[in-house]
Amino acid sequence: MRFSGWAALRGYSIAVYGFVYLPIMLMGLFSVNSSDMIAFPLTGFTLDWYNQILHDGRIFKGLLTTMAVAFPVTIITTVLGSMAALVLTRHKFKGKTAFLALLVLPFFVPKLIFAIAQVTFLSDVGITKGLYTVWISQSMIILPFVTVIIASVLFRVDKRLEEAAGDLGATPWQTFRRVTLPLMKNGILAGSFISFVLSNAEYTVSYFTSGRAQPLSVLVASDFRFHLSPSLNALAMLIVLFNILVIVISEWFRRRAVQA
Amino acid sequence: MSLKRIDRVRQLTLLALTGPNVLFLAVFCVAPLAVLFSYSFFQVSFVDIVREPTLANYARVLESATYRGLVVKALLYGIGIAAVCSVIAYPLAFFIAKRVRVYKAPLLTLLLIPLYTGDLIRIFAWRVVLGAEGVLNSLLMWLGVIKEPIWVLLFSPFSTVVVLTYNYLPFMVLPLWAAIEAMDDSFLEAAMDLGCRRTATFFKVVLPLTGAGLIAGFMMVFVLVVGDYLTPQLIGGSSGVTVTSAIHDMFGAAFDWPTGSALAWVLLTAMAAFITAAVYLFYKSPWGRGIRRAN
Repeated sequence: MRFSGWAALRGYSIAVYGFVYLPIMLMGLFSVNSSDMIAFPLTGFTLDWYNQILHDGRIFKGLLTTMAVAFPVTIITTVLGSMAALVLTRHKFKGKTAFLALLVLPFFVPKLIFAIAQVTFLSDVGITKGLYTVWISQSMIILPFVTVIIASVLFRVDKRLEEAAGDLGATPWQTFRRVTLPLMKNGILAGSFISFVLSNAEYTVSYFTSGRAQPLSVLVASDFRFHLSPSLNALAMLIVLFNILVIVISEWFRRRAVQA
Repeated sequence: MSLKRIDRVRQLTLLALTGPNVLFLAVFCVAPLAVLFSYSFFQVSFVDIVREPTLANYARVLESATYRGLVVKALLYGIGIAAVCSVIAYPLAFFIAKRVRVYKAPLLTLLLIPLYTGDLIRIFAWRVVLGAEGVLNSLLMWLGVIKEPIWVLLFSPFSTVVVLTYNYLPFMVLPLWAAIEAMDDSFLEAAMDLGCRRTATFFKVVLPLTGAGLIAGFMMVFVLVVGDYLTPQLIGGSSGVTVTSAIHDMFGAAFDWPTGSALAWVLLTAMAAFITAAVYLFYKSPWGRGIRRAN
């Protein structure tokens, strides 16, 4: 393309990426700085903060709760998201727009209002808060994301492959089992990994619906509301690194599906 | 299989695929919102909810200059941050879509990573950077650029704007990138060959062709900023009183669920009205040409 400002645009883009990663880089830097204060000048290298986090029993319990939420949420959203993505990309029917609107509704309702609606609903119906109330409310928030990711893969899968299977005498179920499912497998995997990460990160909804069992995000929030410590830096950094790993694996699956 | 049977199988498949989703969303999303709506017509008497329909809560919310101000402030923040994000995101999306070849996928993934790590960690990271005794202030003092810490860096409208922009930037870059990626370069070449200047090319050709991406990004950022309550609370300090935190208070300490739900529904209605109006106006404007053509 004929355009002379590419050099300026490149510099600009690098600056935006700098802005995006600056806070995380600094968090990483100060998670290995020996001073109690999160401030310059640097005083020396240490892994003590990480050591503190790894030996904190409260954090470990929070991590277990987080996992006890994340796995069911991943399963619920992956199954429902795959079904919704199939409908959106493979079927034409009356009321499809309404179905799509219903699916993205949770994204457009502010999280706080959504969480409060859950609380009033639970109190009206008389359900006590517990892990399963977090499963359901988190799934609702995460479902639109998972659906979009799986649908983005299905959109690129050639429909003629499925038509060919049908022409060759495969039943709809056989077509799904032998053709569609293998083709959308990577999309499903990518969606489930992202669901897992989003579940770990979710705070607002978890805070309102969790009751006594508190996931890691809720613990971290109550800690840093009052006091910023380098050990919180270390914990946040561990969470970020773990997320990067999961997201990179997920994106690898998704790109592979799209390219194939 | 007969055609009639194939049709039946197709219908059953459709029902089996949509049914669980519709049921799940109706029971756990629509029903809770409906319950919240019903509360906006109830009243509180001491510690009990009186279930006699009244419009008093709406009257109270709409007559109060404070609540009206909070709703307007939320909408203005939504519009402002969405505008800032679109200005920042456009050149970046353009560069990735039209210039980057090999590293396109990794660059987009790189942009998404902070998004997926969650609001809380991102807000935490910014508190580390912006605090009065934080990284930025201490760096500037250590280097001798300033003598006193700059207080406005944290717990101010300034810090709120910075962090909100940071939080929701990816929601603007992605749809813009998709729209610019889909744009045919030959339109640009043609405009330039016909002697169109660069700014004119941008406003008359590029913007109309990528309008769909812009309005999609704008809507998403707007909705997310209006609904955000963590960022102003943890970053904004005394300026962090928002309509969402007011709603939260009424469901917490104040125990006034009816007024809280009325305020929540006023906010939802205002958001829906703004989005409908914005999308309609954009659709009618010359910049909405791309969307009109796609339909």
